[in-house]
Amino acid sequence: MISTILIFPIIACILVLLIQNKKFNTFMVNLYAILHFVITILLVNGQGKSIPYFAIDSTNLIFLLVLSFVFLMVAIYNSGYVKNLDFPAKKISHYSFMILVFVLSMTGTLLSTDLGISWVLVEATTLSSAYLIYFNRTKHSIEAAWKYVFICSIGIAMAFVGIILLNISTGAINSLSFAELYNNAQNFNTIWLKGSFIFMLFGFGAKMGLAPAHFWLPDAHAEAPSPISALLSAALLNSAYLVIVRVYKIMEIANCTNYARLMLLLMGFLSLFVTAVFVYHIKNYKRMLAYSSIENMGILAIGTALGAYYAVILHLIGHSLAKASFFMTSGNILELFDTKRIKSVSGLIQADGKTGWLWVVSFLAICAFPTSLLFISEFLMIKEMILQGHYILCALFALLLTIVLFGIGRVVIKMAFGKISEDKAKIIEENQNKVCKLMYIPQIIMLILVFVMGVYIPPFINNIIKLAQTGF
Amino acid sequence: MLYLAATSRIIAHIRILVAQGILLFLICCCGMEHIDKLNFAFLTVETLVVKAIVIPWFLFRVLRKTHSNRDAAANIPHFYCLVIASTLMLFGVLASNYYISTMKLISPMFFGVSVATIIISLWLITIKHKIISNVIEFITMENGIFLLSLSVAKEMPMLVNLGVLLDVFIAVYILGLFVNEINKEFNDLEVSHLSDLKDYE
Repeated sequence: MISTILIFPIIACILVLLIQNKKFNTFMVNLYAILHFVITILLVNGQGKSIPYFAIDSTNLIFLLVLSFVFLMVAIYNSGYVKNLDFPAKKISHYSFMILVFVLSMTGTLLSTDLGISWVLVEATTLSSAYLIYFNRTKHSIEAAWKYVFICSIGIAMAFVGIILLNISTGAINSLSFAELYNNAQNFNTIWLKGSFIFMLFGFGAKMGLAPAHFWLPDAHAEAPSPISALLSAALLNSAYLVIVRVYKIMEIANCTNYARLMLLLMGFLSLFVTAVFVYHIKNYKRMLAYSSIENMGILAIGTALGAYYAVILHLIGHSLAKASFFMTSGNILELFDTKRIKSVSGLIQADGKTGWLWVVSFLAICAFPTSLLFISEFLMIKEMILQGHYILCALFALLLTIVLFGIGRVVIKMAFGKISEDKAKIIEENQNKVCKLMYIPQIIMLILVFVMGVYIPPFINNIIKLAQTGF
Repeated sequence: MLYLAATSRIIAHIRILVAQGILLFLICCCGMEHIDKLNFAFLTVETLVVKAIVIPWFLFRVLRKTHSNRDAAANIPHFYCLVIASTLMLFGVLASNYYISTMKLISPMFFGVSVATIIISLWLITIKHKIISNVIEFITMENGIFLLSLSVAKEMPMLVNLGVLLDVFIAVYILGLFVNEINKEFNDLEVSHLSDLKDYE
C-alpha cells in the first residue's frame, strides 16, 4: 500500500514529461489525488503494512488523512484553474510534474520513520515547490522564490546541524530511526540534546513558518499560483510540524520537557505577535492569508507546549481545511479582479455572489466563529491554559488573537461588501467566465466539513485523533 | 575561510571552494579507516567529484554568463572582516577545546574548524551584496556542516548521506538557475533589488 502511494507519482512524473498534453497532465495529477485518497482510506482501515524506512503509525495517520483530503480538493480546483492558464504545453507539463514531486515528498516526509530521511524529504519539498512559486515568471515571483529557497535551505541546513548534535548526544546508538531514538532517549546526553533541539526547532520551524524565520512565507504564499498556495499552507506546514512533534517527543522522553516547552511557547507567541503587528499594514490580500497561516502555526506550537494535544489536532485539521478554502477563494478573486491589492477590490458579493460568500464564510471559519472546528480547538486551548494556571498567557493569547481577528475581518468585510467601481466592472465582465464550477465545489465541501465537525465529529475520526494523541 | 572574508573577487571565491573540496577529500581519506568500504568509497567520491569539481564548474559557468566578477561593496571594510573572521575562528577552536574533556566522540580540531566555518559563512551571507556570493557562502556552510558530521566519530547512514548530497546539489543547481534568471530580469545581481515584496512602503 505505502509503496504504491510512493511509487505511482514517479511513474506519473515520467509519463507527464513524455506526453506533454495539457489534458493528460491534469488528468495524471487528478488520478494521483484520487489514488492518494483511496489508499489513505485503506490505510486508515488498517490495511497498510510498513516498508523499510516508511511506515504508518498512529501519529502520522491523521496528518496523512488531512494531506490526502486537501490534495484531492486542490486537484479538483486545479483542473478548473489550469483551463485559464495561457502557457505552452511544455510549461504545464513541468507544472504538473512539480506538483507530483511536491506531494510525493510531503507524503514521504509524513510516512518516514527515520529522522535523516525526513530531513532529506523536507528539503525536497523546498526544491520542488520553488519552481511552482516561480511559475508566473514575474519579477516578484522570482524574488519570492529566491528568498524561499535560500531561507529554507539555510534553515534546513541548521536542522542538519541539529541532527548531527543529536547524533553526538545519543552516545553509542548509531541510528536515526524514531523508534530507536524513543527507546533510548532516557540515556541521551542532555546538554547536546538541548543544543540539537534548538537547531532542529529553528530549522524545521523555518519550514513551518514559526516567527523568527517566517520571512519567506508571506512572499512565497502571495506569489505562488492559488492552488499551490493552498497546498503550501494546508499541507507543507503540517509536514514540517510533524517532524517537530516527533523531535519534541524525544525531548519528552529524555526529561527535557520544560526546556522544550519554553522554546515552543516562545516561538508560538512570537508568531502571534508578528502577525498581530503586521496584519494591519497589509496591502495584498494573499499576504494577509499567509500571515494568518503564521498565526495558526504559532497556535499549534503553543498548544503543543501546553500539552493540549487533542485541541492541537483539531486545530490542525480545521486550519488546513479552512485555509485551503480561503486561498482557493482568493484565487477566484484574483481571476475576477486581476489584482492582489486590497484597495482595488470591493463589492465582491455584488460581482460574484458565490465567491463573495465563500470569502466571508472562509473568514468566519478561520476566525473561530462558533461551530467552526477552530472555535472548539482554541476554546480547549484556553481552557487548558486556565486549568494550568497560566492566566497571563491566556490573556495575552486572547488579546493577540482578537487583534489579528480584527485586522483580517476589517479587510474581508471591506472587500466583500460595498460597490464596484466602473472600470473594475468591465474587467469583471471579461473575467466572469474564467471562474468555473470546479472552482467553487472544493471550498464548499471543505467549509461544510469545518462547520459540521465543530458540532459533530464522526466516531471513526475521533478514534484516529485519540490514537494520534498517544503519539505526541 | 579567512581569505574568503578578505577578498572580493568572485573567481577567487570559487577557487576556495575547489580547495575546500580537495581538503575534505583528503580528510576523508586519512581519517576514516573504521567505516565500511562502500560508505568510504561513496564519501570520497562525493567530496572529490561533487564538491571539488561539479559545483565549482557549474558556478564558473554561471559567472561567465552573468559577467559579474567583483562584489565591490561589502558593508564592512576587508580589514575588519578579517579581524572578525579570525576572532570567530579562535572562538571555534576554544569552544572545541572546552568540550573535548566532556566528550570523547569528537575530534576537536575538525569540530572547532567546522563550527567556525559555519558561523563565518552565516555572517558573510549577511554582509555580501551580490547574490552569487551568497550562494558561495551557502556552499561553504554546507562544507562546514559536512566537516562537522565527519568530526563525529560515527558515520551517518548511507541513505541519509546520499539524500543530503542530492539535496545540496539540486539546491545549488536551482540557486544557480535563479541567479541566471535574476540577472536576466534585473540586469544586475545586487541583493538590494530583491526587496520589493514587503508590507511597509
